[in-house]
Amino acid sequence: MEILTIENLSFYYPMNQTPTLKNLSFSVEEGEFLTVCGATGSGKSTLLRLLKKELAPIGERKGEILLEGSPIAEVNSASEIGYVMQHPEQQIVTDKVWHELAFGLENRNLPQNEIRRRVAEMASYFGMEDLFFRDTSSLSGGQKQLLNLASVMVMNPKILLLDEPTAQLDPIAASDFIATLHKLHREFSLTVILIEHRLEEVMPLSDRLLILENGELFAFEPPKEAVKKLENRADLLLSMPCAVRVSHALSGNGKKEVLPLTVREGREWIRRTYRNKIQTLSEEMLPKRKKVLEWDRVFFRYEKNGADILSNLCFSVCEGECFCILGGNGAGKSTMLGVTSGLLKPYSGTVRLFGKKLKEYTNGSLYKQNLAYLPQDVTTVFLRNTVRDEFEDSDVSLADFPYDFSSLLEKHPYDLSGGERQLVALAKILAAEPKILLLDEPTKGLDAYAKAEIIAVLHALKEKNVTVIAVTHDTEFSAEIADRVALFFRGELISSDTPKKFFSENRFYTTPVSRMTRGYYENTVTVSEAVSLCLANGEKGEKE
Amino acid sequence: MTHLNPIVLFFYFAAAAGISMFSMNPVIQIFSLAGALSFFFLRNAGKRTGMHLPLFLLALLAALLNPLFQHNGATVLFVLNGNPVTKEACIYGAVTALMLLATLYWFRSFSELMTSDKILYLFGRISPKIALLLSMAMRYIPLFGAQLKKTAQTQKAMGYFKEDNAMDRIRGYMRVFSVTVTWALESGIVTADSMEARGYGEGKRSSFAVFRFYRKDGFYLMLIGALFLISVYGLATEAVAFQYYPTFGAQAPSFISTLTYIAYIMLAFLPTAAEAGEKIKWKYLQSKI
Repeated sequence: MEILTIENLSFYYPMNQTPTLKNLSFSVEEGEFLTVCGATGSGKSTLLRLLKKELAPIGERKGEILLEGSPIAEVNSASEIGYVMQHPEQQIVTDKVWHELAFGLENRNLPQNEIRRRVAEMASYFGMEDLFFRDTSSLSGGQKQLLNLASVMVMNPKILLLDEPTAQLDPIAASDFIATLHKLHREFSLTVILIEHRLEEVMPLSDRLLILENGELFAFEPPKEAVKKLENRADLLLSMPCAVRVSHALSGNGKKEVLPLTVREGREWIRRTYRNKIQTLSEEMLPKRKKVLEWDRVFFRYEKNGADILSNLCFSVCEGECFCILGGNGAGKSTMLGVTSGLLKPYSGTVRLFGKKLKEYTNGSLYKQNLAYLPQDVTTVFLRNTVRDEFEDSDVSLADFPYDFSSLLEKHPYDLSGGERQLVALAKILAAEPKILLLDEPTKGLDAYAKAEIIAVLHALKEKNVTVIAVTHDTEFSAEIADRVALFFRGELISSDTPKKFFSENRFYTTPVSRMTRGYYENTVTVSEAVSLCLANGEKGEKE
Repeated sequence: MTHLNPIVLFFYFAAAAGISMFSMNPVIQIFSLAGALSFFFLRNAGKRTGMHLPLFLLALLAALLNPLFQHNGATVLFVLNGNPVTKEACIYGAVTALMLLATLYWFRSFSELMTSDKILYLFGRISPKIALLLSMAMRYIPLFGAQLKKTAQTQKAMGYFKEDNAMDRIRGYMRVFSVTVTWALESGIVTADSMEARGYGEGKRSSFAVFRFYRKDGFYLMLIGALFLISVYGLATEAVAFQYYPTFGAQAPSFISTLTYIAYIMLAFLPTAAEAGEKIKWKYLQSKI
């Protein structure tokens, strides 16, 4: 049965001649899991917001949106249509977990007893009994986002809309969230419409994939069919799971077969299709270079009687190197960057930059042409009302930056998209001409296109001999850019190695490509490496 | 006491401390202080409870100051700098000190028992709108502080503040403060969206609370109410009135004054008794586990 029908939907933002959505017509079945993807500015969020009348953007709408046959304007949208947004923190309204769960029911003026029962039921379904009396601000990002989902589900919606709900979460919390979503979909046959750019996990759960391009429907069919349409569309392929990217890069010459979507399918597909006579690509050895940053037995804790966050940390980074640090949440990765940037003071041990102790850099000289730090939350970088004002005091002319952002100069920094904001913040940091760049989760919340741009910028900086230390959860990103990768565990750096070695030896902290190819090929961690190995080996059944 | 409904708790403390504050009867003050102290120390038995000495010194000061400035009273004890120090003024000061201490300790117990969510619940009874507003404020203020600190740290790591120039630093922090206000407004838009998406502003809303009103709460409310009314009656009819100047004078003991004293003593020791009862009951229940 159709639950949602969209007929000839077009949408114009005020003062805009070109429509953001062009003549969309499609319908969603009851109990369907629909994933929406597309580039920034393709109209995904506009479409999703139009489905929820309270959040519909201002502008001119043409066409019909029907929920179970009745126009969306006449539906009791607050309880029938649930909506979860990207930012876990800002969606929370109240100070206590129990109050947040009850908020929507209070708005419907339900009696105490019914609220009590439904809140208790939701809390136990989501495993939140222990959090029930906690302050919402004390929850982790993943817990916050699950709370947001629970406080929407408590209203008993028929259809659930989610706009990039996992973008701000680390991979483990994101998997948890997706798993909960899957459980809701499976157990209650809940209709789900999800905008997502982590397609690796979501793709196998989706009944259909809706790909938007410039406000038009590019594809609307089951994932297996949809990915076939992506031939020669490098831009759209970028956000696809790596099995799709590998298989597309290899069978671009018009082969029509069932393409793999998941790691498991990709693995079978490679084994079935390609030989493995050549097992590994040769690796370039890095030349020895001088050390620029040295850590010597550093200990740090936040409170006198607290636990050590950094304990006996020793390592060094060489000039022009890109050093990536992976590790679980709360392992102390960000604390380590805080100590490196001189914001936090260790109680024992020394950090040396260019052979000089950090505390010997006085009066901000540490931050001039030496070291720069890009925090996780890049909104904290901006102080002015336009991007142009942000660069007013800098000595560097805008043309000298490794990338162009002149089209963004008149915008307010808060109005930029996630990717644009990251690039502008990075530019502001680069204005101090640092030799060492500290990045905290530089790819958090970015879609595949923005991520590719950041990777290109970092490669350009490497050419200029800038040393980069990045803390990240993103294995694919670090496989692309790192010279060395290390694992942070219990206040120490454990095993640092080249990405090839590091990822092919790890089982969990590794890239999907490595999981796809291990045992068949060695040391293969990125899509391009897998593709060139497959090509070098040739297909089975072909003449050698 | 912890498990009583906040309304009952609030009413109890208002009654016990209120009567003590509006009466200058030494008997009532002594029992008020005894009740307040016994409850506070029974609840916090074996715990470090912070400062006590400064409170007692403050009370002592209040007791000493009265005879120095108040020279009423018939019985002169001695003359200080040409001013008479009277017995009546000394006693009056001592009773004031008792009242001060009693009130302070009632409030200490009150603030320990009435956590922020209980206070919100009380406001929610009055108006759901105020309750929501307070709840949002409780959430936003720490959030704002955290963002302010984060921004200042980031700016520091960008070399925004110079260490040797105070003016420059103040100007920098003002800029950081103003941008954090912008941030708060900006993220307020998301919060407003999230509220509207869940049906806020679509008519009358109820106010949910995790606290329930049990039969036990009703019993305590009635008991406290009765004791309170008897005490107030005793105060209002001046059956327990006490005169300090120029000489001590008390009403002759009567049925009403005896009843008032008994009622207030019961009121003052009610939480101690309830707490002790709970502790004994818990020991007994524990022995069965």
